[in-house]
Amino acid sequence: MLYDIRLKLEYAYDAPVSGGRHLARVFPANLPGIQRVVAAGLTLLPQPSEQTEFTDFFGTRVASLTYRSQHDALEIAVAARVEVLRKSPGIDFSPSPEKLGDELAATWDMSALSPHHFVAASPRVDLAPAITEYARENIGKAVTVHQLANDLCLRIHADFAYDGEATLVDTPVSEAFALKRGVCQDFAHIMIAGLRGLGVPAGYVSGFLRTMPPEGEQRLEGADAMHAWVKVWCGREMGWIEFDPTNAMRAGQDHIVIGYGRDYSDVAPIVGMLRSAGGQETTQAVDVLEVA
Amino acid sequence: MDSRLSRARPRKMPDLIGAYRPISGVSDEMVAPDGTVKPGWLKFMTALDALGHEELTDRFQHADQYLRDAGVFYRMYDGLEQGERDWPLAHIPLLIAETEWRHIEAGLAQRADLLEDVLSDIYGDNQLVREGLLPPELIAGNPEFLRPMVGVHPMGGHHLHFCAFELGRGPDGRWWVLGDRTQAPSGAGFALENRVATTRALADIYADLNVHRLAGFFRDFRNSLTDMAGNGSGRVAILTPGPLNETYFEHAYIARYLGFLLVQGEDLVVVNGEVMVRTVSGLKPITVLWRRLDGSFTDPLELNQDSHIGTPGITEAVRQGSVGFVNSLGAGILETRALGAFLPAIARSRLGSDLALPNIATWWCGGTAARDYVRDNIEDMLVGPALSTLLAIDDAGETLAAAELDTKARADLLARIEADPKAFAAQEAVKLSTAPVYVGDALEPRPVTLRVYAARTANGWSIMPGGFARVGYSLDTAAIAMQRGGQAADVWVVSDSEVEQVSLLTGSQRAIERNPSGNLPSRAGDNLIWLGRYAERCEASVRILRSWHLRLAELGREDNPLLVATTEYLEPLGIDTAEPVPAGLLAVIDGSVRSASQIRDRFSPDGWLALTDLQKTSRRFARAIKPGDDATRAMTVLLRKLAGFSGLVHENMYRFAGWRFLEIGRRLERGIQIADIATWLCDPDAPEGATEMLLEIGDSVMTHRRRYGYGHGNLGAIELLITDPLNPRSVMFQLTELLAQLKELPRGYVDGQLSPAAKAALKLQTELAVIDASDVSVETLNAISAGLAHISDLIAEMYF
Repeated sequence: MLYDIRLKLEYAYDAPVSGGRHLARVFPANLPGIQRVVAAGLTLLPQPSEQTEFTDFFGTRVASLTYRSQHDALEIAVAARVEVLRKSPGIDFSPSPEKLGDELAATWDMSALSPHHFVAASPRVDLAPAITEYARENIGKAVTVHQLANDLCLRIHADFAYDGEATLVDTPVSEAFALKRGVCQDFAHIMIAGLRGLGVPAGYVSGFLRTMPPEGEQRLEGADAMHAWVKVWCGREMGWIEFDPTNAMRAGQDHIVIGYGRDYSDVAPIVGMLRSAGGQETTQAVDVLEVA
Repeated sequence: MDSRLSRARPRKMPDLIGAYRPISGVSDEMVAPDGTVKPGWLKFMTALDALGHEELTDRFQHADQYLRDAGVFYRMYDGLEQGERDWPLAHIPLLIAETEWRHIEAGLAQRADLLEDVLSDIYGDNQLVREGLLPPELIAGNPEFLRPMVGVHPMGGHHLHFCAFELGRGPDGRWWVLGDRTQAPSGAGFALENRVATTRALADIYADLNVHRLAGFFRDFRNSLTDMAGNGSGRVAILTPGPLNETYFEHAYIARYLGFLLVQGEDLVVVNGEVMVRTVSGLKPITVLWRRLDGSFTDPLELNQDSHIGTPGITEAVRQGSVGFVNSLGAGILETRALGAFLPAIARSRLGSDLALPNIATWWCGGTAARDYVRDNIEDMLVGPALSTLLAIDDAGETLAAAELDTKARADLLARIEADPKAFAAQEAVKLSTAPVYVGDALEPRPVTLRVYAARTANGWSIMPGGFARVGYSLDTAAIAMQRGGQAADVWVVSDSEVEQVSLLTGSQRAIERNPSGNLPSRAGDNLIWLGRYAERCEASVRILRSWHLRLAELGREDNPLLVATTEYLEPLGIDTAEPVPAGLLAVIDGSVRSASQIRDRFSPDGWLALTDLQKTSRRFARAIKPGDDATRAMTVLLRKLAGFSGLVHENMYRFAGWRFLEIGRRLERGIQIADIATWLCDPDAPEGATEMLLEIGDSVMTHRRRYGYGHGNLGAIELLITDPLNPRSVMFQLTELLAQLKELPRGYVDGQLSPAAKAALKLQTELAVIDASDVSVETLNAISAGLAHISDLIAEMYF
């Protein structure tokens, strides 16, 4: 599948800010066998005083933007063309949850792909006992780690309500879990916390999702979304498999990856520090269009 | 007398040693297991004996007094009350023979090199993990592992530059490393102050004993930091989390001692990948940061996003190699307790031998064999979190001595280990050696640990010949923690031969390097202005209050029109005349202490003492003073103390930009205060007696009488308090001084161009200079007051 992606993030500040520094993780990633970036570009308004780029520990491309002059609004726009090559993982040859620990202990690896980065609590995912208990209910039924992850993915979708008003970007995972509602970020964090609580390595995936308009309706401009889902380590043979608890499915042809991290804090689209007195209003528009 | 008999008789032991009872089964620093006294101690104790109890007590009090006068304190966190406590000096130093010290030195240098290797591997290519020498869980799941630092080459090629090691001696007489401190080791400055205080008390004994000096160590480290920054424009700064940190006193002390800039995260800004400090002369580059805060707090953008004390983008500067941290960001991971379980094997693999100074035996329960061993020997273990970076003896909350637990608690602990073995590390519970402390009039043994510092220099690791020893307040090992009542003792490395006499100032073969005066960080300049303003505001309020109470004492009633008018005048300033020492006045004094605490590195200990003394006195007065006479006298005392503070500052502070900001603050505030209250002079409805009172407040009664006799009352007062250029209390005088100081500031007067603030001051001054006293009106004075407030804004805009 070939897609054209457009992202527009707009920030309107209540009071003019005298400067700021932002890290943007908004480019689609080049991932052999999963997706290929044909072209990607960034447009900024106003122009920053400094603009550099680097690749972070987990391999995500990061734009670093610095503003030193006064401005009262900021617009970050990305245009990219991406070919999605993701295939179904095929048959499940992941180990049993009990065996996974041995495989993990035998993995003497510190690279970004090492499952060891994704076992312990991380800044935004504490291993709340209540979530571990919730996840544990699946463990008797699942023969393999893949089944365990898939069952949990489906259960979160069934048990939690999608509600854009219930949580904020910094709502703790336990709170979203107790509310039984939230958005993709919350569902991803809950699934990660549950799996890690059971000793299964799980990470956060930030990306774009193509959405289909309801049957018989026109596609609305900007209706697609930035999205978040989960990657799960299904043992040494099968490796990382991505699940989307918001949509009760494995990541497929409609999922376009920006980057991976332990949780939202590692791959937030924008991290910013402003010299400012007031609040801000943010709007976001995403289009993921199939190239005919 | 038979000479043979005399020789055979043992030399008489000093009484202090004779009465000393070490604990059996425990090593003692003074008395060897066979009862002999260790080198150095005999001579030392003989000298103490000769002084006698009274003289000794007297001398120890001198040491404590020195520390109080120097403003040495330790910040406590004990739940309810936070505050500064006197530094708990144990007066008897810990003596260590030079021969033994050489062994410690060599062992720590070797250990520091190994730690450097481990750290560069953790942030490099992870050979140790691949070879199975270091479990990946201990790194990947560790909050001290800072991923943005992976693959980054530290400036100068080294991660570690300054480390501390906590040592303890076991019952076998060997020294063990209880913990490696690599994050931001504290205490080196306290070691210096311990030395100064102890030698104040025992100067003669110290001189006789050939004790190694500390200054050489600091000189070498200062030089190596300066070299690291490179010759030229590179600067070294000490990065502190600020005055609320428990060891802030030490940060300021070291900065003053070594002549480095003391900065906070908000003072720094990253421009084009370079770290700059905001100073009153604009942005200046910083090349080396000796950090005294945890690495993750240095950058809220890429590291800990909750940090409020960091500098956004500083990680990027590190990545670009434009700034070097001492120690590198991420070095804190070496403090992880469970790491100690793997260092012995890493040493054998990398050094081909065991460490000369090994750490205390440690087990990580994540390994099956280690877990079984811990379970089977639990009564000999201290068990705590595997990733803890606290020393086990400082971690009373989380680390448990299994031997002290009852059966149920021990079973609970074992169950917790079984449920999540990777989360636990155990260390052998060692009975630490004891050292003598002076209690009452005798020596008693107390458990002791030794903190030793290592600094990287061009010639390899330099080990401070001394350090500080922590001595328990009881025989319990946990009582060593200073937060729980432990004391600190100086450490004397005693040589058989004479030692080199060094100081920071002599022996340097380098050319004199002068720090330009424009180095003042903007935040410091801002605080200095506020300190000046608060001190002046305080003085103005105290003067008005004194006059008020004087009249109250004379009249015996508050409903006099002048007193009512004065009360109304003070009200918007937050000062209520109903309280003899108003809360509003205490708040102003607190404000000046707060401002001063932000700039301890630029402030003489005497000035600080004068200010805190003022604070204490005013609080004491607030509890006891009655209105009228009593309050009049109290205000006079406060005025005298304020004058003492001003005098210390004025007579002792070098005329760097810092002093100018302080002076500007004073002149601004005094100008505003006089211009405001002097409006009464121009007001026909002013209450009777206002002129006399104003002259009194303006300390100008005598001059007025001499110059004008008893005629020209009002006009003379206007001249004296407003337009007279020679009266240091007049508005005109403030404007003239203000203008002079503004011109002297960096960028104040360049190529004939005045700064905006100086221009505004010149304008105000000129307008007042050409006006006749008889034409001064309320409007004139209001315009001056507003003009001064505007100048304050212009200064902030340009310099802060």
